[in-house]
Amino acid sequence: MKRLFISLLAVLLLSATGCAKKPTRYRAEFLSLFDTVTSVVGFSESEREFAVLAQRIKDKLAEYHRLFDIYHNYDGLNNIKTINDNAGIAPVKVDPELIAMLLFAKEQYYATNGKTNIALGSVLRIWHDYREKGISDPLNAEVPPRKLLEEAAEHTDIEDLIIDEEASTVYLSDPKMRLDVGAVAKGYAVEQTARHLEAEGVTSLLISVGGNVRAIGGKPGKKGVEPWNIGVRNPDKESPNPELCQVLITGYSVVSSGSYERYYTVDGTRYHHIIDPDTLMPAAFFTNVTVICRDSGLADSLSTAVFNMPLEEGQELVAGFDGVEVLWVTNSGEIVYSEGFKKFLKKLT
Amino acid sequence: MNEARKTDLIIITAIIVLALLFLILNKYFYAEKGEYAEIYHDSTLVYRIQLSTAKEGSFSIPDKPEVVFQVYADKSIAFIESDCPDKVCIRSGRLRFAGHFAACLPNKILLKIVSAEENHEGPDLIIE
Repeated sequence: MKRLFISLLAVLLLSATGCAKKPTRYRAEFLSLFDTVTSVVGFSESEREFAVLAQRIKDKLAEYHRLFDIYHNYDGLNNIKTINDNAGIAPVKVDPELIAMLLFAKEQYYATNGKTNIALGSVLRIWHDYREKGISDPLNAEVPPRKLLEEAAEHTDIEDLIIDEEASTVYLSDPKMRLDVGAVAKGYAVEQTARHLEAEGVTSLLISVGGNVRAIGGKPGKKGVEPWNIGVRNPDKESPNPELCQVLITGYSVVSSGSYERYYTVDGTRYHHIIDPDTLMPAAFFTNVTVICRDSGLADSLSTAVFNMPLEEGQELVAGFDGVEVLWVTNSGEIVYSEGFKKFLKKLT
Repeated sequence: MNEARKTDLIIITAIIVLALLFLILNKYFYAEKGEYAEIYHDSTLVYRIQLSTAKEGSFSIPDKPEVVFQVYADKSIAFIESDCPDKVCIRSGRLRFAGHFAACLPNKILLKIVSAEENHEGPDLIIE
């Protein structure tokens, strides 16, 4: 009996040491938010625990998704589509969260010399329609007529976006103006969600909505808390190097803007989806721009802005922000870093 | 008494040796290795393909014949056909390395590469 007891004890001890609970990395993906892929990466003691957290994140992001949606109506909710539908008709009472995002976006218009402009909706809509037609019928693909773009550009004045914080209303005073918050909404939503989770006590997590990455803290590693490792995929998909670079971040955001997936081709020329508000044409300076800073909303806005301006202008712009670092990949494949970007780079052996 | 202790020790040692042997065998011979392509439709895992042994060729998942995948000789995998309007899935190109993924949102299909190795040292997330 004693012998059996000792043997069982040995087995139990061995099992205990072999299976001691240590946080395991889990990952969840959702395809239903912001017309892109949302990823959540974290360490939990069980799959169930992680699934509960991932669902909470999905639910929170879904609130922002509905508020910032330009295509769909939702029962009992006034969102960006409601504001657009009421352009020139009446102010729309909206949730304070939507007011806060629009105030942030308007601030970003001034901070980026108009290169991040959420009032560009009427121009972006034209490009969107021509792109979809061009992809489904490549032989008859066309560039939007200049006159059509210029007419639409008459209705992109940010001053026609009237935000009344006290009344919590938004009004587009130009009946032909349309908001498109694609350049800021994802980053803003990720930032707000991360802050919400931090306030609830979450200390380690990665959230990405369509490449708008926000890290909460670092991750558990062999030497205690280690930074998260974010790979930026090489725009050259045939390159033997799958990543352009890997950056190590703790509590920071990383956002990439690229020209290599959402595009169509007309007579052999590619036309991508990031439209320069000044030329009304796809910006032609870079194939990729990656921004690192604390705030994911700011990173999102700045990645669009610097994608839309020449290198020197972009360098000057980001020099005016504290704690913002940028990597540019020019059309010829040359990589340019802002002064402090390299301190985030993982040294590859 | 001494004889009994000796036998106990032998049994315990044997258990420890066997357990260690099992762990080593499991880790080095039976555990999954390398990269796998996982294909999800509507959040359900439909296929899990070991890329190192996958045969070159094209295929679809049963519920979405209009979406076609291709496995290439270099052990990469890609979306090559889809009825979606923007073709972002196809333009994501060939995927081969753990952490890379592509999605066809209108068809609710996600293709991602995962590493079977627990201590995979690659990035935690990869962005485009």
